Amino acid sequence: MSYRESVRSGGALLWFFQRVTGVYLAVVLFLHVIMTHVLIRGELSFDQVADRVATPLWKTVDISFLVVALFHGLYGLWIVLDDYIHRDWLRVLLYGGIAIAALVFTTLGILTLLPFQAGG
Amino acid sequence: MAMMTFKIHRFNPDDERRGRYVQEYQVDVRKGMTILDCLNEIKWKQDGTLTFRRSCRSGICGSCAMWVNGMNRLACETQAATLGSNRIEIRPMPGYPVVKDLAVSLDPLVRGLMAVKPWLIANGPPPTDQERLQSPEEREKLLGLYECILCGACTSSCPSFWADGDYIGPHAFLKAYRFVADSRDDGAKAHLDACDDKHGLWRCHTIFNCVEACPKDLNPTKAISELKKELVRRKIG
Repeated sequence: MSYRESVRSGGALLWFFQRVTGVYLAVVLFLHVIMTHVLIRGELSFDQVADRVATPLWKTVDISFLVVALFHGLYGLWIVLDDYIHRDWLRVLLYGGIAIAALVFTTLGILTLLPFQAGG
Repeated sequence: MAMMTFKIHRFNPDDERRGRYVQEYQVDVRKGMTILDCLNEIKWKQDGTLTFRRSCRSGICGSCAMWVNGMNRLACETQAATLGSNRIEIRPMPGYPVVKDLAVSLDPLVRGLMAVKPWLIANGPPPTDQERLQSPEEREKLLGLYECILCGACTSSCPSFWADGDYIGPHAFLKAYRFVADSRDDGAKAHLDACDDKHGLWRCHTIFNCVEACPKDLNPTKAISELKKELVRRKIG
């Protein structure tokens, strides 16, 4: 029986951020549901949501929501792939897909959120 | 007295073409008989070729860990009548290479254990006139950590180990934390660095199978959480 060399993972900070972002998501999701579905007056409409997203505070909250949700979800997927995919070429392909998805969705999300202007 | 059917998963390395197969035996189970007693009945009176490990028959050595009716258990600590069925299925512990019948190779278990440096690392020389002493409070921190009998039931029940045969394993993390928590040990960094491995701590997804499987009622998942927190504290602090 041979003993293998240790391969340092450096996973501590990513594991920690996964926990922190989980808590952040729970809080922001709760806020989102309350603001959008409970405290709303009358029927939920595009204009009402657009007015809210136009304020700098909500724009910041929603962009952070987007970035944090993407990190949390895609890193979770990354970990699952890390567990079950062992072929090098497939790992490169799928990890590449995750990285591209992160980039595309972050860009699309921010490009969607930024143009909302108060009174617009 | 009850007649019970034992459905045993078997494998003979000298007959690899046959592969794994299932064989059934009938045992007249008397009150108080353990699964190990039943296996001994089978081996001694019905089929001498049935292979399994056993030694202390009192839950200390960990040799007779096996998969019984859906869970890893010690055969010597499990009474047949408590399983609530007259049909008992026994398999070798999952995840380990099968040597023969119910005997598995525990090489992965030992590899994981040795990876975390499971020994006391002390900077200074030992006192010449006494042992390395601890206060009762310091000793209390080791409760639930040192009692592991290395049966391998926890690691064999872990999906992370099924997915990655090089996964260090909950038994080894429990042992690593046993030394990290020990006031006499100066090698916390060495134990922690060994756990911070590609096949280490971060592969644990807090599934708790190891806690359910442990025949000594230990909690490797809690030890893993403590190790994770300690590593994060050292990175951030």
